[in-house]
Amino acid sequence: MTTEEKNINITLKVWRQKSPDVKGRLETIEARDISTDMSFLEMLDTINEGLIIQSKEPIEFDNDCREGICGMCGAVVDGIPHGPESAMTLCQLHMRKFKNEDIIFVEPWRARAFPIIKDLIVDRSALDKIIQSGGFVSIAAGGAPDANSIPISQDIAEKAMDAAACIGCGACVAACPNASAMLFVSAKISQLALLPQGKPEAAQRAWNMVNTMDDCGFGNCTNEKECEAVCPKKISIVNIARMNREFFKSGFASQVL
Amino acid sequence: MLDGKIPAGPLEQKWDTYRSTVKLVNPANKRKYNIIVVGTGLAGGAAAATLAELGYNVKNFCIQDSPRRAHSIAAQGGINAAKNYPNDGDSIWRLFHDTIKGGDYRSREANVYRLAQVSNNIIDQCVAQGVPFARDYGGLLANRSFGGAQVSRTFYARGQTGQQLLLGAYSSLSRQIGMGKVQMFPRRELVDLVVVDGRTRGVVVRNLVNGKLESHAGDAVILATGGYGNVFFLSTNAVSCNVGAAFNAYKKGAYFANPCYTQIHPTCIPVSGTHQSKLTLMSESLRNDGRVWVPKDPSDKRNPADIPESGRYYYLEEKYPSFGNLVPRDVASRNAKEVCDRGLGVSATRYAVYLDFSDAIKRDGKDAIAKKYGNLFDMYHNIMDDNPYDTPMMIYPATHYTMGGLWVDYELQTTIPGCFALGEANFSDHGANRLGASALMQGLADGYFVIPYTIAPFLAKNGNSDIKENHPAFKEAEKSADSYVKKLLSINGNQTAGEIHRKLGQIIWDYVGMARNNKGLKKAIEMIKDLKEQFWSSVTVPGSDRDFNFALQKAMRVADFLEFGELMAVDALHRQESCGGHLNEAFQTDEGEARRDDENYSHVAAWEYKGQENEPAFHKEPLVFENVELTQRSYK
Amino acid sequence: MNWLINTFGTSIGKKLLMALSGACFIGFLLGHLGGNTTLYFGKEAFNSYAEHLHALGILVNIAEISLLTLLVIHVVTGVTLFFQNLGARPQRYAVSKRAGGRTWASATMPYTGVLILIFVIFHLINFHFVEKTLDNTIFDIVSKTFVQPEFMIFYIIAMIIVAFHVSHGFWSLFQTLGANHPKYMPIITRVGIILSLVFGIGFGLLPIFVPLIAS
Repeated sequence: MTTEEKNINITLKVWRQKSPDVKGRLETIEARDISTDMSFLEMLDTINEGLIIQSKEPIEFDNDCREGICGMCGAVVDGIPHGPESAMTLCQLHMRKFKNEDIIFVEPWRARAFPIIKDLIVDRSALDKIIQSGGFVSIAAGGAPDANSIPISQDIAEKAMDAAACIGCGACVAACPNASAMLFVSAKISQLALLPQGKPEAAQRAWNMVNTMDDCGFGNCTNEKECEAVCPKKISIVNIARMNREFFKSGFASQVL
Repeated sequence: MLDGKIPAGPLEQKWDTYRSTVKLVNPANKRKYNIIVVGTGLAGGAAAATLAELGYNVKNFCIQDSPRRAHSIAAQGGINAAKNYPNDGDSIWRLFHDTIKGGDYRSREANVYRLAQVSNNIIDQCVAQGVPFARDYGGLLANRSFGGAQVSRTFYARGQTGQQLLLGAYSSLSRQIGMGKVQMFPRRELVDLVVVDGRTRGVVVRNLVNGKLESHAGDAVILATGGYGNVFFLSTNAVSCNVGAAFNAYKKGAYFANPCYTQIHPTCIPVSGTHQSKLTLMSESLRNDGRVWVPKDPSDKRNPADIPESGRYYYLEEKYPSFGNLVPRDVASRNAKEVCDRGLGVSATRYAVYLDFSDAIKRDGKDAIAKKYGNLFDMYHNIMDDNPYDTPMMIYPATHYTMGGLWVDYELQTTIPGCFALGEANFSDHGANRLGASALMQGLADGYFVIPYTIAPFLAKNGNSDIKENHPAFKEAEKSADSYVKKLLSINGNQTAGEIHRKLGQIIWDYVGMARNNKGLKKAIEMIKDLKEQFWSSVTVPGSDRDFNFALQKAMRVADFLEFGELMAVDALHRQESCGGHLNEAFQTDEGEARRDDENYSHVAAWEYKGQENEPAFHKEPLVFENVELTQRSYK
Repeated sequence: MNWLINTFGTSIGKKLLMALSGACFIGFLLGHLGGNTTLYFGKEAFNSYAEHLHALGILVNIAEISLLTLLVIHVVTGVTLFFQNLGARPQRYAVSKRAGGRTWASATMPYTGVLILIFVIFHLINFHFVEKTLDNTIFDIVSKTFVQPEFMIFYIIAMIIVAFHVSHGFWSLFQTLGANHPKYMPIITRVGIILSLVFGIGFGLLPIFVPLIAS
């Protein structure tokens, strides 16, 4: 049986910013009678419905699937991206994790590479740019050999899947003390470097993706593991080590440059 | 009478004949064509990437901030293909036949056969892209049986196959964006399809960041904008899923086919309160080990674990001894509704049934069950705050997929020349009910392997469109979209679009849901009309049309759903039979199954828009079955 | 040679420079500690170690120049990274909390680094760039320094800082070099902690021990 539904009153300190170039600020919003069965985003929905009725502008936030897979949602809740629960996106966080009279700080992802669009919405197109520079296997539809022509050991397939589970939410960047995107980049480089299909262009891929990442203005990795700690899909920094290897191979051992 | 343009010849050769004889576009000429693709899911993303690979110039639009987030990503179970790797008797024919039968004989033979044929290429393509499918110990691809199929033909990547396939398509798309062959426009929503002189000329989209209306002319437009499940308000769809693009095409002359076919998935987490924004689906694989039951006595308030066997009503096992808990989705859903309507439901709302794993845990041990379903159990635990290892899960059906969509011919072209529809946005392959693991197959088939061929004859025949963005038709479209937006912002009433959406969802769920009757449908049409009036007189939309404004987006989508909901009811009322996901209570077998009327309703119902005030016009595409025998489904 | 500059110019290239130079410093510290343990055996042992070391002649100069080069690389790269990282997040969070990855050692690397640099300069002025004669041997210089409580405390604190820096730096350099394997990483992390304890205790007890035997 579900636990008795109960209601709590909370105070939100939420970042409001009208547009990219104006100054934002933390606004205090009192929310009463919030059911603890609500998800965090449903709590925001409820507040927004109230604001709309008062002809006030609701809090804008990105979200879509609300089941933790699309990677669209995310905010820094009390200093931690996606909130206090581990291995969870913001949409899966429930209000029962909070207590009556709690003051909750909600801020957008903060990074130079992620300019704020409005309130909690940021522009994460830098992550797409990195993928466009090499996060693929150059194969056109129609030319593929039979799917079973290359056996791949279960161990390798599982490791590739662990890396491929990345949802591209950007929490790693938000959590990194240096706003580095290395966990994100390494997940894609790892996935494709592990699989035989990705090997032919591994060197070029590593070179291009790392350089694009740098160009986008992300910080550098200092091995602080905050990214791994907040990753909703538990992507491991083992992938960053693998990316480093792939990068050294491309820089020192290949003919890529 | 609608012509599906199905190629002549034996079923097995139709696609090959078509491919070999269809007009092609010269490689040097492809770069002269601009193709607009709306949507970046499995169908749209795959189509945009593949057309760019072939040399076309592609403009691709998506509603999310990145093409990687399309809702295809949420598909869990897997993707079917007739590879027959397990050597268990599968074949293209069998996949075709299962899909036709699963769709309750309301889909086109030729389309479904083509789907089964290209299913194998999809797996090859995805593996080559680096999709990490599950593998067995020898390193070959693993398969599982899914959705009650008698063969193991489902390929999967843990419980996130949709995500991995989508990311595969996204990677191909990204490659083309990087090479400049695809121009990507994220955070855009289609507001108008521009049709001049009977040909699609392009689209007007709204930039969701700054509210600007942008015109894009093209030689063909591909709509891959997904399904309309959110008309129910509560569904397993993502928040941004909407019917806008498809409905706009409908208003511009594309026929809408079978809108009443919706799929209600049986294993979802039930509604718990009015704050709820969506329903979460849990893989139907849970029914492999879970037993569905309700207490025999509705007043039995005991903890479910304390209710003895004699007090439990295992309704699926009792009614369907041979399939038991593994009956198809529509049957399982309908039965859950039926027991709950009889007052036997559990939970505070009484709209839930138990899915009990205690026998499986006793039999196989907790570890074995955790290994199979651990992530689902955790998800349930998180949402419901209840541990399914100790107490039975509570589940209830939820809208999941919509089989209806824009009417398309064999070439996936709508009734507007130059406008194509792919994936869930079209109606073509699933008939009245979709089988598990075949949505992913259809999306990718349409995108990778069908549209690249079938768009060519249109372009070869009609050449470049001579209308550019400066044409008055585009200015006109922008102007009317602008005044539409301004009108929404000026109503200043006392209801939010969200509230009205919720009301609409309740009407659709109650009267156009799992079981329908003529009286209810007629009532629903009236109620929706009223609600539409309420919307246009009392909705309130704050903010401006010149920056990011979700409330405005929402209001625009709800306005479309209000009109669309009526069309659903009209279609359901037209179909005086039961089939697959459409059950009219007046047409049931003695066993309570959907009773088809093949003589009168073996057709596709396609609706033509005739203006706000008029009933839509009905068009019929008869379904001809030359290769399969129509039988009554039975799962006893 | 463009490829070399380009490779080291990237974010990962700079990490590599930090890791390689850091690895050399750890090697140097081990050697230095090995030499300094002679202090625990008294004045004669230590002075004789110093003599033997200086008898190596040109090799000592090569080592000094190498260490200086590595120091410049480690410091310049470190400072560059620090400011790049600072710039990567122009607006800080109002509330900042650790999610569980960060440690005190990892969070303070740039600061402990600066303190160590200051210490090294001070240390060189103290013991390296001083006239050593037969009457004023290196042991005499060291013991005279450590009998002053402020110096003793300063050196002990410096060694704790070094231990901190190494405790993150050791496993981190393996990670950067790409050597992170679930089987070996736990061992590497443990070795790093042991090493930092060895440095902290090995060097840190000297300022206490030397005054005791000198008096």
